[in-house]
Amino acid sequence: MSGVKLERIVKTYGDVEVVHGINLEVDEKEFVVLVGPSGCGKSTTLRMIAGLEEISTGKLTIDGAVVNRVAPKDRDVAMVFQNYALYPHLNVAENIAFGLRIRKEPKENIKKIVDEVAQTLGLTPYLERRPADLSGGQRQRVAMGRAIVRRPKVFLFDEPLSNLDAKLRTQMRAEIKRLHKRLGVTSIYVTHDQVEAMTLADRIVVMQDGNIEQIGTPMDLFLNPANAFVAGFLGSPPMNQIRATLATGASGPVAQIGNQQLPLPTLPALADANGQEIIVGVRPEFADIAVADTPDQIHINLDLVETLGSEALLHASLGDDSFVLRTGTLGKMEMLDNVTGFTIKPELIKIFDGTTGVAVAGQVQRA
Amino acid sequence: MSTSIDKSEHAQADDYLNAPQGRVAKVIEHLKRDWQIYLMLLPTVIWLIVFLYKPMYGLQVAFKDYSVFRGVAGSPWIGFEHFETLFSNDQFIRAIKNTFIISFYTLLIGFPMPIFLALMFNEVINQTFKKTAQTIVYLPHFISSVIIAGIVIAGFSPSSGVVNTFITYLGFEPIYFLTKPEWFRPIFIGSTIWQEAGFQSIVYLAAIAGVSPTLYESAVVDGASRWQMMWKITLPSILPTILIMLIIRIGNLLEVSFEMIILLYQPATYETADVVNTFIYRQGLLGGQYDLAAAAGLFNAVVAFIMVMTANTISRRYSNTSIW
Ligand SMILES: Nc1ncnc2c1ncn2[C@@H]1O[C@H](COP(=O)(O)OP(=O)(O)O)[C@@H](O)[C@H]1O
Ligand SMILES: [Mg+2]
Repeated sequence: MSGVKLERIVKTYGDVEVVHGINLEVDEKEFVVLVGPSGCGKSTTLRMIAGLEEISTGKLTIDGAVVNRVAPKDRDVAMVFQNYALYPHLNVAENIAFGLRIRKEPKENIKKIVDEVAQTLGLTPYLERRPADLSGGQRQRVAMGRAIVRRPKVFLFDEPLSNLDAKLRTQMRAEIKRLHKRLGVTSIYVTHDQVEAMTLADRIVVMQDGNIEQIGTPMDLFLNPANAFVAGFLGSPPMNQIRATLATGASGPVAQIGNQQLPLPTLPALADANGQEIIVGVRPEFADIAVADTPDQIHINLDLVETLGSEALLHASLGDDSFVLRTGTLGKMEMLDNVTGFTIKPELIKIFDGTTGVAVAGQVQRA
Repeated sequence: MSTSIDKSEHAQADDYLNAPQGRVAKVIEHLKRDWQIYLMLLPTVIWLIVFLYKPMYGLQVAFKDYSVFRGVAGSPWIGFEHFETLFSNDQFIRAIKNTFIISFYTLLIGFPMPIFLALMFNEVINQTFKKTAQTIVYLPHFISSVIIAGIVIAGFSPSSGVVNTFITYLGFEPIYFLTKPEWFRPIFIGSTIWQEAGFQSIVYLAAIAGVSPTLYESAVVDGASRWQMMWKITLPSILPTILIMLIIRIGNLLEVSFEMIILLYQPATYETADVVNTFIYRQGLLGGQYDLAAAAGLFNAVVAFIMVMTANTISRRYSNTSIW
């Protein structure tokens, strides 16, 4: 049971508290991604798990044992750093072997393990090279290799792909995913990139300002963000958020947006809350485009059409809020410039409290 | 606005196309473009010319029968006569030998010392202790050699010095350290190390500060002890600095701090203490034989030049680190 458990973990630097008592349970073999804007405390949390930062208060358990006071080397974790942290004076083989040599593994063993890992990562031709003579992607692989050879209970990744260009990042992302499938080691991965989080994670932990905003599977978070922050963070482009007032229309609750009315799902929570300020959340891909003769549309002012090939992004405004639509281009190219509004099924709309931003009860279901 | 940028870019491109290709032309082009930078370089160049290159004119007296009255230009050439005189002089041969021995030991013991100090300082966690200790070891560097020599002489004095007080306290006879040839080198080397090691450690501390902290963090997670990190990360990371310093030291190897020797030696210890520079000082300044002294100085400089070239070449070949 080599899971990781954080209980009311707090980190303070002097008088400043940067992580505010977070709780998180990572199951064995699970791949959990901590995601959030820069400075929200992801690295600090990860470094506390690694033992590089002292835990101010709270309880950290790895594999069933409390490790608050256990030295990093005895926690049996391996960490991959953003800048790779390769030793410039050692070649690839020596870099990969570093952890094993420190632990005084027998020489033959080391050679065998290093060769094996190099094979897995496609590094065999480069074993004799120094880090300075490698490309970014290769360096990243060496850093991964160094973590893998240790066969730790837990892998920790701190933005390992941030220094790579977009194409390489996509490629390495897939490689990390494959590796995790094969090795099945509990992994905690930090990133500020929501696409990385969505693609890699079994479960995503969204953080903001030292707090956990929501924990869940990528689809959970995508469909049912717990609050407006998570809604605005995940998805690209993120969920549209339109300020509105709750009202009662002809056939149930509606959102009054200026002089337009958008039908909302019939939720008990909305029944008696007429006049309440709300934020209506509409995923850019859940809304359908409407042209002049489409009935029951919500009108928007189209500013700009970005064509991306198979898809297009329509940038528009709705009252004071900006509004983005994402739609397929197939057979619709001529329509795009004439879009006048959108329609959406009420059950695909998310509703957030206008002041707290917390999601109003009700689940969006979509297979 | 964009058109004006385009124009100037075109103009520049044309400049490149039309530019004369020769070496001199390139230098002139550089001077024109970066003249502010060259202007800042100028004071140093002037300093070098005035204090280091112009005096080289006087070096020719090494090959002349120089007299103050005839002047440098007016004195007759005599070829290598001074060098022959020097190499048939036992005192000069002894001075060369002493120079090498003292230099060698100073290098052997004195060179690793600042590295060792820097590594140790790097391990100290208590900042107050670290700062205090650093100040204490830097301090002697800022004290004049005359005072250092005074301290050494007082410390080793047979009647009142701490060392002899301690020796007599243990029931032994006092030792007249500074009159004993066999004690001169240890005392000299020890005091120069005491004077300079701390200050020299600054270079290595700076190099250590430049090592990326994530290298250590990564090593900590991998299970390295502080000792292992020192050997496997810190030391290899500052190796290029160590090699550069070594090349510089070897270049200066024959420049033993002779003012310190002059302050500490006496005729009784010439046997082990007299080095080429003190020999030059006695012959030239005290004895008035400027031509002979110039010859000895030139010899010293040529040997030093060869040594620094050799050190640099070896370092470049085996570690890809070199000054030029
Ligand atoms: N050593 C430190 N001393 C003081 N504040 C720190 C220190 N390290 C990080 N912080 C602060 O803690 C917060 C979280 O930092 P970090 O965990 O690095 O954020 P990120 O989510 O970008 O990884 C930031 O506001 C940062 O300024
Ligand atoms: Mg970070």
